Amino acid sequence: MLHVADLTKHYGHLTALSEVSFSIRPGEVLGLIGPNGSGKTTLFECLGGVLPSDGGSVSDGARIVAAAERWSILFYLPDGIAPWPAQTVRWALKFAQGWFGGSDLAPIIDQLDLGPLLDQRIGELSKGQRKRVLLAIGLLTPQPVLLADEPFDGLDLRQTREVAQTLRAHAAEGRTLFLSIHQIPDAARVCDRFVLLSGGRVRGEGTLAELSALAASRGAPRSSDLEEVFLVLTDARN
Amino acid sequence: MFSRTPGIRRGRRNAAFVWLLDKEWRELIASRAYWVMLLVIGPLVGFSFISSVRTYAEASGLHGTSAGVGEAFSPLIGVWAPTFSACELAAAFLLPFVAIRLVGGDRQSGALKLELQHPMPAIGRIAAKTIVLVAAWVLASAAPLIAIVMWISYGGSVYLPELVTIAFGHLLNAGLTIALAAATAAVTEHPSTAAILTLSVTVGTWIVNFAAAVNGGFWERAAGYTPTAMVAEFQHGLIRLDVVLVAVILIAAGLVTSAIWLRLGIATRRRAYESLAAGALASAAIFISTFATASWDTSENRGNSFPEADEVTLRQIHTPLKLQVHLAPEDPRRSDLERRALSKLRRVMPTLQVDYISATSIGLFEQTAAKYGEIWYDLGGRRTMSRATTAEGVLETIYSLAGVAPPPENEEAVFRGHPLAAPPKGAATVFYGIWPALVIAGALIVRRRQL
Repeated sequence: MLHVADLTKHYGHLTALSEVSFSIRPGEVLGLIGPNGSGKTTLFECLGGVLPSDGGSVSDGARIVAAAERWSILFYLPDGIAPWPAQTVRWALKFAQGWFGGSDLAPIIDQLDLGPLLDQRIGELSKGQRKRVLLAIGLLTPQPVLLADEPFDGLDLRQTREVAQTLRAHAAEGRTLFLSIHQIPDAARVCDRFVLLSGGRVRGEGTLAELSALAASRGAPRSSDLEEVFLVLTDARN
Repeated sequence: MFSRTPGIRRGRRNAAFVWLLDKEWRELIASRAYWVMLLVIGPLVGFSFISSVRTYAEASGLHGTSAGVGEAFSPLIGVWAPTFSACELAAAFLLPFVAIRLVGGDRQSGALKLELQHPMPAIGRIAAKTIVLVAAWVLASAAPLIAIVMWISYGGSVYLPELVTIAFGHLLNAGLTIALAAATAAVTEHPSTAAILTLSVTVGTWIVNFAAAVNGGFWERAAGYTPTAMVAEFQHGLIRLDVVLVAVILIAAGLVTSAIWLRLGIATRRRAYESLAAGALASAAIFISTFATASWDTSENRGNSFPEADEVTLRQIHTPLKLQVHLAPEDPRRSDLERRALSKLRRVMPTLQVDYISATSIGLFEQTAAKYGEIWYDLGGRRTMSRATTAEGVLETIYSLAGVAPPPENEEAVFRGHPLAAPPKGAATVFYGIWPALVIAGALIVRRRQL
């Protein structure tokens, strides 16, 4: 189990993450949900070693995993990037496979329906098409844990469902997924457990039932609707 | 516990590096900046080549002009220095943009966040970029290479050591530009900031040259290591070990700085401290390198050396020689003395000590002052004064002071020059027509093949 303890990050006087702690279990699909500006991307960047954190630790079992060696466990897939815009999708996937030493290309191309896009330049793709290419790159990588920031952003409903199915299939094969998801219904569809982040703090961690119980303990009616639970637990008054 | 991705083994590391080289090369040839540089460098080199060959031919007697002095006809000075100076322009004003595009492009597109999640050290990544950029420069050097082939086809004389020296000098200069651009692109967030910083450093070196001309002293010594001064020496066929070492250290410092700032997940303060440490190390290494005195004159006309017989005689004088020169930095006699005599003398007598004394920078109002214009020689306590600033005058004074007989002149050793009264036939077609057409065709083909 990967344990994140007291992760803290400041931007000048602004505290983006404040003593964030939670766990990632092998083979699960963990969802990071939170309102805009809650620190989801900052948390992912700190975990992925892309951004230096100001405190806290990540440990795998009893062993602390320093930022410089996170690559051996985690792969972070950022949102809103358009890498190698002048290159084709085919080349980008082959490069990802060669550079990171990843798995077989063909099944992932098939799962994410990238066949028709292979000879297009990345810079010429639509937002949703680019997102699918990025997901393919992430799924190709060999790290046991994949951190994907907004994996459904830019996808239509059908594509969202298909990608969710693909992600679940990879989790079923043993890959651990930690997904930052803006849309609560999407998160509810694909994730096993959730980490609720608001104002840079963890407001709850667990399955929907566990979070619902937590919300109930704060005086809210019991609900199996993640949106309702989310609103209760991220309400600043609670 | 999660199963870890296996550490990178040597075979895997090499394979990853090959992937990186492939990626950098593809990114280079996909960038418009590189094709623009290729497009411009041909006509630039062509213009310099055509002008210099025409002048060389006229001085050699073309179109009825009287032939010049044979000794003046050195292709190195007459043709190659001006032709290759186009490369200096390209290195200063075009290459930085190509390098910044290659280094900064990854950050702009977000590719850096993906690529840096690979255990390859940042210095390995910068090495791949540098290799590709150097290869790009070598490819762009096809323009002066074509000029050399055309010169030979006109019947021109080629002396390989001086050509290799000048090409090496421009390669070092390109290396300096690449390292500087890589460092600025890595340190700054945006390519335009990196471009402004890089050009500021270039302008800064010109200011150092200007300050050297006005103030002399420390500035004069520092100006000897600016890219302009470095290239000028190579263009005269002179390889100075200290200059090469300083250039290599500066290149290494730039690339290390770039690697420091290319890494993600490291606090800015730590990267700043690491950069300062690298800068301090580089400064110390540069200081030590300035004491290296070895140099090689590869010019066919021995333009950087006294005649061999004089060098043999001078080497027999072991007493330290001190010169006190009462000339202002901007006095033309001082630059004459430096260029014609002292630069050659330092190569034979590395312990030579020269002190310049003047009250003003231009010397115009010092002409009537006592001692102004005098050059005092001190050889082991024996002193004499001369006002001569020519090589012959300086040598005569030293021989007289040392009490040694001047060596007899060897007429056979005198460089007679290689006059060539041939117009630059076909060069305009090649550099203004064929070269741009090939570059444009190449860009289109590459763009199509990348699909």
